[in-house]
Amino acid sequence: MKIFIMPPNSLILFDLVERFGHEPLSLMKALRDRVTSNEIEAPPLNVTVEDVKKGLKYAGIEVPSGIRGRLAIYGPLIDEAEAAIFMEDAPYSFGCVGCQRTNELAKLLVRKRKVPILSLDYPANEEEAKDMVYKVKEFLEGLK
Amino acid sequence: MDSNIETRLVFIAPTSDLTPDRIARFVHNLGNDVSVKETCYGVVLQGPKEAVKRTLDEVRKMDPNRIYSKIRAFPMGDIRRCRAHHGSRPGFAQLEKEWKDLCLVEQGLICVEKGEIPPTPKKRQKIPVNDLKKLIDEVSP
Repeated sequence: MKIFIMPPNSLILFDLVERFGHEPLSLMKALRDRVTSNEIEAPPLNVTVEDVKKGLKYAGIEVPSGIRGRLAIYGPLIDEAEAAIFMEDAPYSFGCVGCQRTNELAKLLVRKRKVPILSLDYPANEEEAKDMVYKVKEFLEGLK
Repeated sequence: MDSNIETRLVFIAPTSDLTPDRIARFVHNLGNDVSVKETCYGVVLQGPKEAVKRTLDEVRKMDPNRIYSKIRAFPMGDIRRCRAHHGSRPGFAQLEKEWKDLCLVEQGLICVEKGEIPPTPKKRQKIPVNDLKKLIDEVSP
Protein backbone atom coordinates (compact mmCIF):
# COMPACT_ATOMS: atom_id res chain seq x y z
CA MET A 1 0.00 0.00 0.00
CA LYS A 2 1.04 3.59 -0.54
CA ILE A 3 1.83 5.30 2.75
CA PHE A 4 2.09 9.07 3.08
CA ILE A 5 4.75 10.03 5.60
CA MET A 6 5.11 13.23 7.60
CA PRO A 7 7.71 14.79 7.66
CA PRO A 8 7.58 13.83 3.98
CA ASN A 9 11.36 13.54 3.75
CA SER A 10 11.88 11.55 6.96
CA LEU A 11 14.65 8.97 6.80
CA ILE A 12 13.32 6.96 9.75
CA LEU A 13 9.77 6.70 8.41
CA PHE A 14 10.85 6.06 4.81
CA ASP A 15 13.07 3.20 5.94
CA LEU A 16 10.54 1.67 8.34
CA VAL A 17 7.70 1.78 5.79
CA GLU A 18 9.89 0.10 3.18
CA ARG A 19 11.24 -2.41 5.69
CA PHE A 20 7.72 -3.52 6.60
CA GLY A 21 6.77 -4.03 2.95
CA HIS A 22 4.91 -0.91 1.87
CA GLU A 23 5.61 1.93 -0.53
CA PRO A 24 6.43 5.26 1.14
CA LEU A 25 5.11 8.34 -0.68
CA SER A 26 7.99 10.69 -0.12
CA LEU A 27 8.89 14.21 -1.07
CA MET A 28 12.20 13.05 -2.52
CA LYS A 29 10.53 10.96 -5.19
CA ALA A 30 8.24 13.83 -6.15
CA LEU A 31 11.10 16.30 -6.27
CA ARG A 32 13.27 13.96 -8.28
CA ASP A 33 11.29 14.62 -11.47
CA ARG A 34 11.46 18.35 -10.91
CA VAL A 35 15.14 18.66 -10.15
CA THR A 36 16.16 16.49 -13.07
CA SER A 37 13.97 18.27 -15.62
CA ASN A 38 15.44 21.17 -17.56
CA GLU A 39 12.39 23.33 -17.09
CA ILE A 40 13.34 24.57 -13.63
CA GLU A 41 16.55 26.52 -13.30
CA ALA A 42 17.19 26.46 -9.55
CA PRO A 43 14.93 23.79 -8.07
CA PRO A 44 13.27 23.33 -5.69
CA LEU A 45 13.23 27.05 -4.94
CA ASN A 46 11.27 27.82 -8.12
CA VAL A 47 8.00 26.40 -9.30
CA THR A 48 6.56 26.22 -12.78
CA VAL A 49 3.30 27.79 -13.91
CA GLU A 50 1.80 24.31 -13.90
CA ASP A 51 2.78 23.87 -10.23
CA VAL A 52 1.02 27.08 -9.26
CA LYS A 53 -2.16 25.84 -10.93
CA LYS A 54 -1.86 22.45 -9.24
CA GLY A 55 -1.29 24.14 -5.86
CA LEU A 56 -4.60 25.97 -6.19
CA LYS A 57 -6.38 22.66 -5.92
CA TYR A 58 -5.03 22.20 -2.39
CA ALA A 59 -4.75 25.76 -1.04
CA GLY A 60 -6.74 28.93 -1.70
CA ILE A 61 -5.33 31.90 -3.57
CA GLU A 62 -4.94 33.82 -0.30
CA VAL A 63 -2.54 31.19 1.08
CA PRO A 64 1.12 32.35 0.83
CA SER A 65 2.75 31.29 -2.42
CA GLY A 66 5.48 29.36 -0.61
CA ILE A 67 2.90 27.10 1.02
CA ARG A 68 0.94 26.73 -2.20
CA GLY A 69 4.11 25.84 -4.07
CA ARG A 70 4.96 23.16 -1.51
CA LEU A 71 1.41 21.83 -1.60
CA ALA A 72 1.67 21.50 -5.38
CA ILE A 73 4.25 18.81 -4.62
CA TYR A 74 2.63 17.28 -1.50
CA GLY A 75 -0.92 17.38 -2.93
CA PRO A 76 -0.66 14.62 -5.56
CA LEU A 77 1.05 12.43 -2.92
CA ILE A 78 -1.85 12.99 -0.51
CA ASP A 79 -4.32 12.08 -3.29
CA GLU A 80 -2.45 8.82 -3.83
CA ALA A 81 -2.14 7.93 -0.13
CA GLU A 82 -3.92 4.85 1.16
CA ALA A 83 -2.71 5.39 4.73
CA ALA A 84 -0.48 7.86 6.56
CA ILE A 85 2.03 8.05 9.39
CA PHE A 86 2.70 11.37 11.13
CA MET A 87 5.72 12.00 13.32
CA GLU A 88 5.08 14.99 15.53
CA ASP A 89 7.26 16.97 17.89
CA ALA A 90 10.12 17.45 15.42
CA PRO A 91 12.91 19.83 16.40
CA TYR A 92 12.49 23.38 15.10
CA SER A 93 15.57 22.97 12.89
CA PHE A 94 13.57 20.71 10.55
CA GLY A 95 12.25 23.63 8.56
CA CYS A 96 10.96 27.16 8.46
CA VAL A 97 7.51 28.44 9.44
CA GLY A 98 6.44 27.93 5.81
CA CYS A 99 7.32 24.23 6.08
CA GLN A 100 5.44 23.98 9.38
CA ARG A 101 2.30 25.62 8.02
CA THR A 102 2.46 23.44 4.90
CA ASN A 103 2.76 20.36 7.09
CA GLU A 104 -0.27 21.43 9.12
CA LEU A 105 -2.32 21.97 5.98
CA ALA A 106 -1.08 18.70 4.49
CA LYS A 107 -2.11 16.82 7.65
CA LEU A 108 -5.56 18.38 7.44
CA LEU A 109 -5.87 17.27 3.80
CA VAL A 110 -4.87 13.72 4.73
CA ARG A 111 -7.39 13.65 7.60
CA LYS A 112 -10.11 14.85 5.22
CA ARG A 113 -9.43 11.82 3.02
CA LYS A 114 -10.44 9.51 5.93
CA VAL A 115 -7.54 7.11 5.39
CA PRO A 116 -6.03 5.20 8.35
CA ILE A 117 -3.56 7.44 10.19
CA LEU A 118 -0.92 6.68 12.81
CA SER A 119 0.29 9.67 14.85
CA LEU A 120 3.56 9.36 16.74
CA ASP A 121 6.18 11.52 18.41
CA TYR A 122 9.89 11.56 17.62
CA PRO A 123 11.42 9.21 20.20
CA ALA A 124 13.49 10.82 22.92
CA ASN A 125 14.69 7.61 24.60
CA GLU A 126 14.96 3.85 24.09
CA GLU A 127 11.57 3.10 25.62
CA GLU A 128 9.79 5.52 23.32
CA ALA A 129 11.70 4.24 20.28
CA LYS A 130 10.66 0.64 21.03
CA ASP A 131 7.07 1.74 21.35
CA MET A 132 7.29 3.75 18.13
CA VAL A 133 8.73 0.91 16.02
CA TYR A 134 6.22 -1.54 17.50
CA LYS A 135 3.30 0.77 16.68
CA VAL A 136 4.55 1.36 13.12
CA LYS A 137 4.89 -2.38 12.58
CA GLU A 138 1.45 -3.14 13.99
CA PHE A 139 -0.11 -0.35 11.92
CA LEU A 140 1.53 -1.41 8.66
CA GLU A 141 0.82 -5.11 9.17
CA GLY A 142 -2.78 -4.27 9.95
CA LEU A 143 -3.16 -2.64 6.55
CA LYS A 144 -2.37 -5.77 4.56
CA MET B 1 17.92 12.29 -16.68
CA ASP B 2 16.61 8.77 -17.23
CA SER B 3 13.61 8.16 -14.97
CA ASN B 4 14.84 4.63 -14.34
CA ILE B 5 17.89 5.98 -12.51
CA GLU B 6 17.59 6.13 -8.72
CA THR B 7 19.80 7.80 -6.13
CA ARG B 8 19.78 6.46 -2.58
CA LEU B 9 21.31 7.59 0.66
CA VAL B 10 22.58 4.75 2.83
CA PHE B 11 23.05 5.65 6.49
CA ILE B 12 25.13 3.76 9.02
CA ALA B 13 23.75 4.06 12.55
CA PRO B 14 26.19 5.63 15.06
CA THR B 15 26.38 2.33 16.97
CA SER B 16 27.56 0.30 13.98
CA ASP B 17 31.17 -0.79 13.50
CA LEU B 18 30.87 -0.42 9.73
CA THR B 19 32.56 2.45 7.94
CA PRO B 20 31.51 4.20 4.72
CA ASP B 21 34.76 3.00 3.18
CA ARG B 22 33.92 -0.64 3.90
CA ILE B 23 30.46 -0.33 2.39
CA ALA B 24 31.87 1.43 -0.68
CA ARG B 25 34.40 -1.34 -1.23
CA PHE B 26 31.69 -3.97 -0.71
CA VAL B 27 29.48 -2.27 -3.34
CA HIS B 28 32.37 -2.14 -5.80
CA ASN B 29 33.00 -5.84 -5.26
CA LEU B 30 29.35 -6.71 -5.93
CA GLY B 31 29.89 -5.68 -9.55
CA ASN B 32 26.36 -4.33 -9.98
CA ASP B 33 25.90 -1.45 -12.39
CA VAL B 34 25.83 1.07 -9.52
CA SER B 35 27.94 4.14 -8.72
CA VAL B 36 28.92 4.63 -5.10
CA LYS B 37 30.19 7.69 -3.23
CA GLU B 38 31.37 7.79 0.36
CA THR B 39 29.88 10.41 2.67
CA CYS B 40 30.25 11.27 6.36
CA TYR B 41 27.12 9.28 7.31
CA GLY B 42 27.41 6.33 4.89
CA VAL B 43 27.32 6.16 1.12
CA VAL B 44 25.28 7.41 -1.82
CA LEU B 45 24.27 4.84 -4.42
CA GLN B 46 23.14 5.66 -7.93
CA GLY B 47 22.15 3.47 -10.83
CA PRO B 48 19.19 1.68 -12.44
CA LYS B 49 16.39 1.11 -9.90
CA GLU B 50 16.66 -2.67 -9.94
CA ALA B 51 20.44 -2.66 -9.53
CA VAL B 52 20.24 -0.14 -6.67
CA LYS B 53 17.62 -2.28 -4.93
CA ARG B 54 19.72 -5.44 -5.31
CA THR B 55 22.78 -3.61 -4.00
CA LEU B 56 20.88 -2.15 -1.06
CA ASP B 57 19.53 -5.59 -0.10
CA GLU B 58 23.08 -6.93 -0.05
CA VAL B 59 24.42 -3.93 1.90
CA ARG B 60 21.63 -4.27 4.48
CA LYS B 61 22.71 -7.84 5.19
CA MET B 62 26.02 -6.48 6.54
CA ASP B 63 24.23 -5.01 9.59
CA PRO B 64 20.46 -5.26 9.12
CA ASN B 65 19.32 -3.15 12.05
CA ARG B 66 21.98 -0.51 11.72
CA ILE B 67 21.77 0.31 8.02
CA TYR B 68 19.01 2.64 6.90
CA SER B 69 18.21 4.13 3.55
CA LYS B 70 16.05 6.63 1.75
CA ILE B 71 15.75 8.00 -1.76
CA ARG B 72 17.50 11.23 -2.65
CA ALA B 73 15.95 13.72 -5.07
CA PHE B 74 19.18 15.24 -6.36
CA PRO B 75 21.51 13.09 -8.45
CA MET B 76 24.92 12.15 -7.06
CA GLY B 77 27.43 15.00 -7.29
CA ASP B 78 24.79 17.49 -8.43
CA ILE B 79 26.44 20.92 -8.37
CA ARG B 80 23.43 22.45 -6.62
CA ARG B 81 23.98 20.20 -3.61
CA CYS B 82 27.48 18.72 -3.78
CA ARG B 83 29.85 20.18 -1.17
CA ALA B 84 32.73 19.95 -3.63
CA HIS B 85 30.96 22.61 -5.68
CA HIS B 86 29.94 24.62 -2.58
CA GLY B 87 26.33 23.52 -2.95
CA SER B 88 23.84 24.24 -0.19
CA ARG B 89 22.64 21.47 2.13
CA PRO B 90 19.33 22.78 3.49
CA GLY B 91 18.07 19.46 4.87
CA PHE B 92 21.18 18.60 6.82
CA ALA B 93 19.80 19.56 10.26
CA GLN B 94 17.04 16.98 9.80
CA LEU B 95 19.37 14.29 8.48
CA GLU B 96 21.71 14.85 11.43
CA LYS B 97 18.90 14.58 13.99
CA GLU B 98 17.44 11.45 12.41
CA TRP B 99 20.90 9.91 12.05
CA LYS B 100 21.49 10.42 15.79
CA ASP B 101 18.12 8.76 16.50
CA LEU B 102 18.99 5.65 14.46
CA CYS B 103 20.55 3.97 17.51
CA LEU B 104 17.16 4.32 19.24
CA VAL B 105 15.28 2.95 16.22
CA GLU B 106 17.72 0.05 16.17
CA GLN B 107 16.62 -0.90 19.70
CA GLY B 108 13.02 -0.79 18.49
CA LEU B 109 13.78 -3.09 15.57
CA ILE B 110 15.58 -5.56 17.84
CA CYS B 111 12.59 -5.53 20.18
CA VAL B 112 10.19 -6.19 17.28
CA GLU B 113 12.45 -8.96 15.94
CA LYS B 114 12.32 -10.74 19.30
CA GLY B 115 8.54 -10.44 19.27
CA GLU B 116 8.46 -8.46 22.50
CA ILE B 117 5.64 -6.08 23.28
CA PRO B 118 7.24 -2.94 24.73
CA PRO B 119 5.65 -1.27 27.76
CA THR B 120 3.80 1.98 27.02
CA PRO B 121 6.24 4.79 27.83
CA LYS B 122 5.35 7.61 30.18
CA LYS B 123 3.80 10.54 28.38
CA ARG B 124 6.11 13.53 28.16
CA GLN B 125 4.84 16.45 30.20
CA LYS B 126 5.57 20.13 30.31
CA ILE B 127 7.73 21.38 33.17
CA PRO B 128 5.56 22.56 36.10
CA VAL B 129 5.50 26.34 36.61
CA ASN B 130 6.99 26.09 40.12
CA ASP B 131 9.95 24.04 38.85
CA LEU B 132 10.48 26.58 36.10
CA LYS B 133 10.42 29.40 38.69
CA LYS B 134 13.02 27.54 40.76
CA LEU B 135 15.25 27.18 37.69
CA ILE B 136 14.93 30.88 36.92
CA ASP B 137 15.77 31.77 40.50
CA GLU B 138 18.83 29.53 40.39
CA VAL B 139 20.13 31.15 37.22
CA SER B 140 19.31 34.74 38.13
CA PRO B 141 18.82 35.10 41.90
